Amino acid sequence: MPISVAYVSRETANNLWRNRLMAIAAILTVGVSLSLVGTALLLRQAVNNSLSALQANVDLQIFVNPGASLATAATIKSLTEQTPQIKHCNYLDHQQSYDNAVKLFRAQGEAAAISALTVATTPPVFQCTLVHAGDAATVATVFTGQAGIFKVEYPAKSIHTLESISRVAQIVLLVLALVLLVSSVVLILNAIRMAIFSRRREVGVMRLVGATAWFIRLPFMMEGLVQGVIGAAIAVGMVILGDVGIRALLHHFPEFQNAIVPGHDVVMTEIFVVLVGVIVGVGGSAVAVRRFLDV
Amino acid sequence: MIRFDNVTKTYKGDIVALRDVSLDITKGEFVFVVGASGSGKTTLLKLLLREEAIDSGQIWVAGREVGRLSNWRVPYLRRNLGCVFQDFRLLPNKTVFENVGFALQVIGRPRHVVATQVPQVLELVGLGQKAGRYPHELSGGEQQRVAIARAFVNRPLILLADEPTGNLDPQTSLGIMSLLDRINRTGTTVLMATHDAGIVDQMRRRVIEIDHGRIIRDQVRGIYGIDPTPSTTRGVPAVSLASGSATTLERPVHSEPRRSRTRH
Repeated sequence: MPISVAYVSRETANNLWRNRLMAIAAILTVGVSLSLVGTALLLRQAVNNSLSALQANVDLQIFVNPGASLATAATIKSLTEQTPQIKHCNYLDHQQSYDNAVKLFRAQGEAAAISALTVATTPPVFQCTLVHAGDAATVATVFTGQAGIFKVEYPAKSIHTLESISRVAQIVLLVLALVLLVSSVVLILNAIRMAIFSRRREVGVMRLVGATAWFIRLPFMMEGLVQGVIGAAIAVGMVILGDVGIRALLHHFPEFQNAIVPGHDVVMTEIFVVLVGVIVGVGGSAVAVRRFLDV
Repeated sequence: MIRFDNVTKTYKGDIVALRDVSLDITKGEFVFVVGASGSGKTTLLKLLLREEAIDSGQIWVAGREVGRLSNWRVPYLRRNLGCVFQDFRLLPNKTVFENVGFALQVIGRPRHVVATQVPQVLELVGLGQKAGRYPHELSGGEQQRVAIARAFVNRPLILLADEPTGNLDPQTSLGIMSLLDRINRTGTTVLMATHDAGIVDQMRRRVIEIDHGRIIRDQVRGIYGIDPTPSTTRGVPAVSLASGSATTLERPVHSEPRRSRTRH
């Protein structure tokens, strides 16, 4: 027997309206949880993009004591030349290092830091490119503590810090999202259960006059699906808003341009969010229909 | 049209609802099922609808064995069985027209069929002028008429009625019985469980009496209580009927040859 689309749509709309408070609660929970899922996924992509950019230009910076003599700098230079893991190094003297620092601080809007900086106190620096990026930590230990060396910096430090922070943030977001997703399934299940309860007389009559099981079930299943999809639509909107906001923010920070997630990745994330919404909606209603609807 | 072959149904806790019941109801018959509360009348109707499953035996409805039907075919069985209940089971938020039309709508009948058949059946039950009313605006008798209209609108082969006059006064009950009789004359088999002795005695149709899950009496033109006239029984030993109380009739009717029945 063909099931009328008009009938299913009308019954689904009626069910949603009758249980509107429960439906709104379920939809909002799905929306919030899927927003978190989307955000966590985008955050992971942003961090991955930043890390690959950082790893592609892996570098080692050896800062010389500002008061060190030129002879000391020359000794360090020869040491870098003798280190096989180092491909080559550029030496920035006080003035060049100062100019570089001013440029960086200006890009970050740190006017106060620029005013505190002087040419004399800015340490000269060797900016080195390594043969293998993974050797940064080993090379750093060779130079750290040598005479005339102020400090040794390499991006792996930032990478490690960035990775740790993003890992914690992702775990927190995903755990929160998971808890909320389970709540969403339970809320949808309960909403459908209430709908079944409020329509038990109709369901009884439908069974007696020979309505098929799917004819009875479908409006309830559709109700769950609609809740999941509307929740997902809210999440899609939230994720798009967040993405637009972050893009606008990062526009002012050229050094973080790599963190911007490309458009097609955002679209894929949104599709995933909608799919999860459908699964949550249909899953919750399927459990409710199976457990509480006697056809 | 309906056949029970040695049907037994037991509920949880070893409560025997029907014990080794056999009966045959032909097309167009009007049959009363009588017996005390808990005797197994309602179970008999539920088994026909496949609301309950039998433990042993076979039930045939319109040439199909009910027990062997797969679950997805059960709704199609039910479309051949109209049901009427003591409590009417109308939907309070739907009008008379919508209540009756609902039965057609949920089995996928197109709108024009609903628009044609519902007024016809409402005329048949005498509610043509009340199609727009809600159930709470109707009397008990009128509500039962709506329930009968809903059960009959799909023109089922069989109409099952579980104490349809149980909530009605005697005068209204007569009206309902007159309606069921009219439906029966269209060729629809009617099987009605009842406690209403007055109606059974007045209509003088086939009466099947159940006691503790066994059929103890099957009379062609029976009355509610024991009819001492031996010739009206179907398969029950005449000597038992003549000898007195129903408690002496422990043998189920199927134990006698079916051909031995006599109609008056």
